Amino acid sequence: MVLVLALGDLHIPHRAADLPPKFKSMLVPGKIQHIICTGNLCIKEVQDYLKTLCPDLHITRGEYDEDTRYPETKTLTIGQFKLGLCHGHQVIPWGDLDSLAMLQRQLDVDILVTGHTHQFTAYKHEAGVVINPGSATGAYSSITYDVNPSFVLMDIDGLRVVVYVYELIDGEVKVDKIDFKKTPATTHSAH
Amino acid sequence: MLIIHYYCGTIQISQKEINLEKLQRIASTGIPEGGNLRATVWKLILGYLPPSRDLWEKELSENRKKYAKLKEELLLTPSELARMKEEAFQSNEHNNAHSDTAGPLIRHEISHEDHPLSLGKASVWHQYFEHTEIAEQIDRDLQRTHPEMKFFSGESSFGRKHRESMRNVLLLFSKLNPAIRYVQGMNEVLAPLYYVFSTDTDEKNASNAEADSFSCFVLLLSDSVDHFCQQLDNSSVGILSTLSRLSDLLKANDEELWRHLEFTSKVKPQYYGFRWITLLLTQEFNLQSILRIWDSLISSPFGIQEMLLRVCCAMLLCVKSRLLSGDFAANLKLLQHYPEINIEHLLQVAQDLTPDTSYYRMSS
Repeated sequence: MVLVLALGDLHIPHRAADLPPKFKSMLVPGKIQHIICTGNLCIKEVQDYLKTLCPDLHITRGEYDEDTRYPETKTLTIGQFKLGLCHGHQVIPWGDLDSLAMLQRQLDVDILVTGHTHQFTAYKHEAGVVINPGSATGAYSSITYDVNPSFVLMDIDGLRVVVYVYELIDGEVKVDKIDFKKTPATTHSAH
Repeated sequence: MLIIHYYCGTIQISQKEINLEKLQRIASTGIPEGGNLRATVWKLILGYLPPSRDLWEKELSENRKKYAKLKEELLLTPSELARMKEEAFQSNEHNNAHSDTAGPLIRHEISHEDHPLSLGKASVWHQYFEHTEIAEQIDRDLQRTHPEMKFFSGESSFGRKHRESMRNVLLLFSKLNPAIRYVQGMNEVLAPLYYVFSTDTDEKNASNAEADSFSCFVLLLSDSVDHFCQQLDNSSVGILSTLSRLSDLLKANDEELWRHLEFTSKVKPQYYGFRWITLLLTQEFNLQSILRIWDSLISSPFGIQEMLLRVCCAMLLCVKSRLLSGDFAANLKLLQHYPEINIEHLLQVAQDLTPDTSYYRMSS
């Protein structure tokens, strides 16, 4: 059981002051093993805060991040899964599934996590799963002002991932889950 | 002498119907090492094994199965539990990667508490994380248990497996006893049991040491588990009441020493006896001595707690001259770092004490 927090597009301090209090009260140290952040924090204080939740922190560069040294993309292996991380403003059209699928094949990962649209999405396609955790602060995006704060917590357990989607809707935290399994490599015959 | 002793013991436990009283008498003079005598005798006298040999296999198998089931229920992570539940309800509608259709993944609503960040007391996730704190404390204490012994310490797969088994026992105990949970020192009380059962020459027994020591740990503590509960400290079943009985026992057997400790050097039992009693002397002696002392404790017709008080009293008597010439600081130091001593002599003194008549007094 490995818990991975995926979040991004906070846009602190320019578009939002902080994470919603109801999110902050749930995000406590000691529970999460990894944090992957799509980008647009935008300031170092946010990075410091995330580090207090979990020392294993991965960040990719959003176009408004103060620290320009974050990489454009990142890949990491957690348990049986390869994860890819990219802010997504580089992938045009923004949020287009086929373009993202191409990036996923390039990075050769099972799960691609991107942001930029500030809308939670989770898609499955031939090359794997693409997840967008949305904006953790509900900051407005280049596309819309109607943004509910959201983030994602993945529970990686063997060949199975349970994705918990946390959204703040009308002041209340709503939690959904999605689960999917990875099929073992196709070279080994399936049952 | 030892050989006769060994045979007596073996003869006793090879009877069809074991005479527990006879066995207790033999055991209280010390159970010889070797074979599986000690493991079997302890299990018999603690009540884990029934006195009828024919029933052993059935009892052991049932108890070990029960333990495995408890582990399954209480020691799985919430992910594993959720996964097992879903495998039971596997249906085709359930969206998973086996379906080849591309597209948005289906979101399922979940009840309020059923997610990892839940702060609700009833949430299995919340309870799991609360227990990880306890588990971390247990792990820290296990690292410090008998560090000089390869059996318990070091990074060999051997030492690690033993620590993992002990961790399971202690974690399970803490979940089943929420009023007490885990208290530092319980690792020390478990260690002799687990060690004796794991070194049983019978392979089946040795491989089930975890399950057997869990049950015997519970049996061993059944009379004294209240000592671990802080809220009960001042009650008639709490540690302070037991310590005052130790005081009374000393007074009945050696008023001079009692007076010197209580009044002259003001060394009250709670300063040294707390650890002696709650941890059944596991912190005061090396493992071999503990095993010998426990032979007497477990097999005593007075019962474990009574015999324990006698041994504690004997410990005081055996260093009487040093105590009489010591002040508060010296006496405290001596009793908190009890010196090496002839264990047979200590146990003989304990055996010969005047019975504690305060036991029969009405508690105020």
